[in-house]
Amino acid sequence: MRGPTVLKAEDDKTRQLNKNTLMAFSGESGDTVQFAEYIQANAALYSMRNDTELSPSAVANFVRGELARSLRSRSPYTVNLLLGGIDPVTEAPHLYWIDYLASLAPLPYAAHGYAQYYCLSILDKHHNPNINLDEGLKLLTLCTDELKRRLPIDYKGVLVKVVTKDGVREIDVDNDKVVKCA
Amino acid sequence: MDKLVAQYSRPPHQNELYNEQEQEDLSASVPPLSLKFSLPPVDNRSAFLRAMTDDHSNPSCPIKLAHGTTTLAFRFQGGIIVCTDSRATAGNWIASQTVKKVIPVSRLSRGEDKPSNDPTPGLLGTMAGGAADCQYWLRYLSQQCTLHEIRHKRRITVAAASKILANLTYAYKGYGLSMGTMLAGVTPQEGPALYYIDSDGTRLPGNLFCVGSGQTFAYGVLDAEYRYDLTEQEALNLGRRSILAAMHRDAYSGGFINLYHVKEEGWVHHGFDDMNPIFWKTKLDKGEFSNVTSEL
Amino acid sequence: MTSFMGHQSRGETIGYSFSEPTAAPVKQHSFYPYTDNGGSTLGITGSDFAILAGDTRSTSGYNINSRMVPKVFRIGGDDETGEGAQILLSVVGFAADGNALKERLDTMVRMYKYQHGKSMSVGACAQRLSTILYEKRFFPYYVHAILAGLDEEGKGALYSYDPVGSYEREQCRAAGAASSLIMPFLDNQVNFKNQYIPGSGEGHALEPKKAEPLPKNTVKQLVRDAFTSAVERHIEVGDGLQMMIITREGIEEVYHPLKKD
Repeated sequence: MRGPTVLKAEDDKTRQLNKNTLMAFSGESGDTVQFAEYIQANAALYSMRNDTELSPSAVANFVRGELARSLRSRSPYTVNLLLGGIDPVTEAPHLYWIDYLASLAPLPYAAHGYAQYYCLSILDKHHNPNINLDEGLKLLTLCTDELKRRLPIDYKGVLVKVVTKDGVREIDVDNDKVVKCA
Repeated sequence: MDKLVAQYSRPPHQNELYNEQEQEDLSASVPPLSLKFSLPPVDNRSAFLRAMTDDHSNPSCPIKLAHGTTTLAFRFQGGIIVCTDSRATAGNWIASQTVKKVIPVSRLSRGEDKPSNDPTPGLLGTMAGGAADCQYWLRYLSQQCTLHEIRHKRRITVAAASKILANLTYAYKGYGLSMGTMLAGVTPQEGPALYYIDSDGTRLPGNLFCVGSGQTFAYGVLDAEYRYDLTEQEALNLGRRSILAAMHRDAYSGGFINLYHVKEEGWVHHGFDDMNPIFWKTKLDKGEFSNVTSEL
Repeated sequence: MTSFMGHQSRGETIGYSFSEPTAAPVKQHSFYPYTDNGGSTLGITGSDFAILAGDTRSTSGYNINSRMVPKVFRIGGDDETGEGAQILLSVVGFAADGNALKERLDTMVRMYKYQHGKSMSVGACAQRLSTILYEKRFFPYYVHAILAGLDEEGKGALYSYDPVGSYEREQCRAAGAASSLIMPFLDNQVNFKNQYIPGSGEGHALEPKKAEPLPKNTVKQLVRDAFTSAVERHIEVGDGLQMMIITREGIEEVYHPLKKD
């Protein structure tokens, strides 16, 4: 978005930080990609130096530290993040919610912005930690349908990526489905 | 200049005693549930009122008014479900946890909630926004509906009742009223009818509305499972669960879950229940609310 | 007189739904007709009585104007002494508004008795007070009112109000400066909130203690405790405690000294 114009409808607002960690971002344009790629580069640098992958919790805490440092600088990054990944050792999934004020919260499900107001109650009801990928995607559809239904803006669809122990892959979703209010 | 003259040409103690009209008001046997309101002696009244009472734009305002919070109503094949929370807040202070935000409209149904389960004829209104605004104007509407019944020997339609309220709120647009209300009722002419009316003057008929600061959370749960052909039990459970969701996520909502079902014969009350045991039962029995854990 | 049905200042609407928060700073008004005279009031009901109490200090800012300004009034009495009244009103906030409100309600209730030849019920009086407050919706009385009496069944009745007239019948209510100190105490001691029956179960099976009407002497002691505690922690509360107890026998008025610092 630039002023009232949509510049690109299918922008990838995620960066893969290492084999099994993915970070989604939103916030001030310019800041977002710069910050994400800065984190991406540092995660890669760490992997090369130490010949080991950082765990999601290690990356999340590193990101939080960088945001906290930036927050106290002359021009802080205004970036909100969701960081998901699989721990390469325990193979347990992790999700971290990080905002531009460098709050970090490990959560079973999370959202930023207006999506929080509509989706968290749905996730409260329908999420449980034992769901499989298919059920997870169905739950995601429940959320995106609600956003299509109730958000006053047309948000041009979603891009879905899944992090598994084998890595990150994109999933095709039908963004053209029309959802109407009851 | 005219104003200046007017200001000084008035006897300084003109209003010290009750004038004739006021004396009549004082002695009138019927209280004037009416359109006579005293106004502050300033040019910009809504700005004055906002500076004094609106804690949203002015958190340090001297007069904190009680505000209502999450309410929902939806139509389904068996009638209309109306459900609300019960919290009233004045700024960050929880003024009450036991507010009745569902208000029966029309004389027949206004009496205290009866213990029996017989349906009570009449409409239901909900309150969100300013508690006093909703209470007063639904009372006013109640009066108008009763007069309609007496004049026409039949109950007022929901469409007509909602129009009375919408015309009223539109007339006071810009004065600083704050109300978001839903009117629900089943009449022979309309069947189950549901209207949303707010202080902007909006009046909308519809199948499903959530109003108040917790509306988005209630919409989330409600939209996901709403169908017109829900059974009565499913509908009651969905209404209750949607309010629970809003109470959990919205700090301005909480207290008790107040549940009503409007049917052809009238409305039935389905409980005013503490949310806490319901929350824990939902979490422990169904495994929902997995974000609430005892882990650190 | 101004027409009330016109549409002035459309640009300044206070929107209800998702309205933009006003970005402009709140305008300073030279017209400020209110002051806060501090103090606190409290009401509790029982099965056959109701108690209204208030401290007697009157402040303005950090000054104590008086140590003996009552906040609880008899409504609908036969004469100036309030003899024969069956309803009590307490007002806290701006004392001048409080007095005006008291006078107005008192007039209404006495006029009702004069016209109908019977006393006004508390329920009716409660609704009337609500409309009186709402008539000044656009220029509110800066008061928190509590109304008490006995209902048709002889049970204690208590109604609490916000400044523009939303009201609710309750078992107990604290209002005014120290309401945030007293109300949680009342929730616990009158409505038994967060009290459980020991040994009734483990975890979520633990049974909450049921609230029931308290005897008069217990309630009197609770009121005294609430105020002595509030005096310790709030600067606007102190000097004296005025308590009015309404029963079938009539109204009993009691004064108690409180700390005067």
